[in-house]
Amino acid sequence: MAVTTAGGGRGIGGGASAAAGKQHLLEMREGARVISHTPARLNTAPSRAYYFYLMLPAIIVLACITLYPFFWLVWMSLHDVDVGAAADKWNDFANWIRLGRDRKFQDGWWLLLQYSAMCMVLQIGLGVLLAVILNGSRHEKLLVTIFLMPMMMAPVVAGLVWYYLYNSTFGWYHWLMQSAGILGERSILGDPSTAMLGIVIVDTWQWTPLITLIVLAGLKRVPRDQLEANMVDGAGEIRNFFQITLPNIYPFLLIAILLRFMDNFRFIDHILVLTGGGPADSTKILPTYLFDVSFQFFKLGRGAAIALTLLAVTIVLGLILVRVFQSPTAQTRPEDS
Amino acid sequence: MFYTPKNALFRRVGRRKFLELGGGAATALGAGSIAVGLNSVVTRRPAYAQSSEEAKWRQFEGTKLVFMSENTPPSFAIRENLQPFYDLTGIEVEILTDDLPVVQQKVGIDLRGGSADFHLNYVQDKPIGAPFADFYVDLTKFMADDTLPQDPDGSGEDAWFENFLTACGVYYDEGRIVAFPYDCAVACTFYRQDLFEQLSKDFEAEHGYRMEFNADTTWQNVQDFAAFFKKLREGGREDIPYGYAQHQGSFAWTTQLDIQRLLFANGRWTDFEGVDDKLGSREPGPTRWGDEQSVLIMQKFKDQADVSHPDNLANGTLELNTVYQAGQIAMQVQYHEFAASIEDESTSRAAGGKTGYGVCPLGAKEWIVNGGEAVNGTNCGIGGIGINAGASEELQRAAYLFAIWSTSKNTQFSVLKGVGGTPTRKAVLEIPEVQAARQRPTNMPNALTFEPVYDYGIRDPHFVLGPKIPEANEYHKILATEVQRCISGQTSAEEACEEIRWQLDDMHGH
Repeated sequence: MAVTTAGGGRGIGGGASAAAGKQHLLEMREGARVISHTPARLNTAPSRAYYFYLMLPAIIVLACITLYPFFWLVWMSLHDVDVGAAADKWNDFANWIRLGRDRKFQDGWWLLLQYSAMCMVLQIGLGVLLAVILNGSRHEKLLVTIFLMPMMMAPVVAGLVWYYLYNSTFGWYHWLMQSAGILGERSILGDPSTAMLGIVIVDTWQWTPLITLIVLAGLKRVPRDQLEANMVDGAGEIRNFFQITLPNIYPFLLIAILLRFMDNFRFIDHILVLTGGGPADSTKILPTYLFDVSFQFFKLGRGAAIALTLLAVTIVLGLILVRVFQSPTAQTRPEDS
Repeated sequence: MFYTPKNALFRRVGRRKFLELGGGAATALGAGSIAVGLNSVVTRRPAYAQSSEEAKWRQFEGTKLVFMSENTPPSFAIRENLQPFYDLTGIEVEILTDDLPVVQQKVGIDLRGGSADFHLNYVQDKPIGAPFADFYVDLTKFMADDTLPQDPDGSGEDAWFENFLTACGVYYDEGRIVAFPYDCAVACTFYRQDLFEQLSKDFEAEHGYRMEFNADTTWQNVQDFAAFFKKLREGGREDIPYGYAQHQGSFAWTTQLDIQRLLFANGRWTDFEGVDDKLGSREPGPTRWGDEQSVLIMQKFKDQADVSHPDNLANGTLELNTVYQAGQIAMQVQYHEFAASIEDESTSRAAGGKTGYGVCPLGAKEWIVNGGEAVNGTNCGIGGIGINAGASEELQRAAYLFAIWSTSKNTQFSVLKGVGGTPTRKAVLEIPEVQAARQRPTNMPNALTFEPVYDYGIRDPHFVLGPKIPEANEYHKILATEVQRCISGQTSAEEACEEIRWQLDDMHGH
């Protein structure tokens, strides 16, 4: 950049600016000063190194917060990383071998699949139903606001609220169920055969509104002309839903499923507050067991091995869902076919 | 950008000036954050052996300490009344409290990480002391340091109730003390005297002996009482509560303690052969689970569950106490710190002299197959106060002042009077006001339990601590799960004991 002063006096680099007259100099006047500088070469593609340096800070941050912990996790899973003061020791894959005979690990997977399946089916079904009912209703905005309330609550707080509602000594919900003859004196969380259902109910209460919200957004995009054309062809409400509405909201549903699926694999707040994984481990889904091993028993190496299996399965299932989401069927809308 | 009158009184701030000011502010904020983040300050005015007591107490004036504790009555009471300690020492103490499992996680990470964010820790014997014993300061070096003030009642074994110092302060090796007894929870029997008196004749007609509770009442008697109450209730007497309930909720440690007292009462059975549980062991060897005695007691425990409150598996220690307060059961073996809540007439239907406090039931001779002795197996949790070895030497010494002050006779007495504390020093029970409070009417309800607890239960041969092993928390979870599986009918007593044996031996590499 060259700077000259007005009024003929030459300043720094004044001679250079005269010599560089063939170049495209841009001059700007500001008060008594003239500022001129060389414009950037707009039409020249920057080198790859240029982009690399621009991205470098982000790459460093990402490496610190994702790659480093990931490789540290792999390293831990191959060592005895215990609460003791002794240095971490290579353990000949003992943490991995142990998973093969660890019944709590295997039961944890089975319970996690059960829990996820129950939550997904209930929440998707109820979420879509609620969205269809709310869509276009007279008090849609008010009702949507009311239905969204559970979602605004911290999961731990929601868990505590339901813990008190379910309590057999003073819980209002337990009293109601008992009065209706659905439950006896034993609470829903005090029986290994019903405790999981109790947790699924809480999860459904809190997260169905998310599905409703996403599906409701999808319903707004269903082309009215298609619905009307189908009705002209003699379709009723139900046929219309399955032939026109459902295909149109399919991508939205997939997003909802993907989100909830990943949430179910990582949210253990309700379980920790309501049952701690009991009674008799009937609600000890794998992430709860992982929490126990890592932060109650402080067997960090074993915990790392469990976490890696959870991570691998989450990635694979996530990829399958994304693949389905990106498939032509998912992206093709009825009018395209 | 904005119009500025020519006669404006302020000066325009240039960009350079603005950046300078911004940079200065950011630096100040950063430095402030670091200071807050460090969260501890230690200042020192040297004291010597010949210094006055006041100088010894005030040598760390201006220091700030953080104490991570379980949400127990002493911590609440001390937190509300820290002024006397500040006046005495000039040391500021922040007391953080949480549920025991959360405390265990937080101090575990802090101790292992070596960051010493919590200079003082609540060292609950098995859940915190056993796994983390190596990370605490050996207090014996401070106990022998004449530049530090010492408690006038002493801090050695004799100053505390029998077994208490060893239970919470000594782990695996004799001679090293890592915590002073800070509070305690000792099991005793709470029972509804009014209902026992009301129904005793009917019971006697049926069973041939009186329904009463004393040191000779056995677990078989408790089984009979519970079955009797349950039969009345299921026969349509809705005014009669269930007889008994167990600690079988989600808190694994008290679930394990619940069956442990039954096992110990009947033949003084313990988990590992040749291991002194008071000292603990890093390598306890193969477990005894699966032997004839353990299988028999597991079956008896299941029988007890069958006559207990129906929501047995949902009631942890706190919930169980609520069930008793609500008048839904006539007996519970509960920790003596809960007496204050039972005697609170605003929340408890069992208050007003309805509740009697007895020792834990005696083992039944017919239940003993290992040739052992029948005792009133009494288990407990002794919570200590320990000092993080990751803290600097000066902070450790400052923390020692708080450790001895918080466990002193006067502090424990004021906590007992205030919120219902659980003393650990013998000297507290010698205070005339405390002796008078052991009978009704009393302004210290916990003192009603002192006879079954301090005069009887905590003494040998009744005292049982349970395994002090580094894997104590995993051990508690294994036991809780398998016991719950058994009493809910998923496994038989033999299968449950065998499963426990397999898992414990696997955990210890046998």
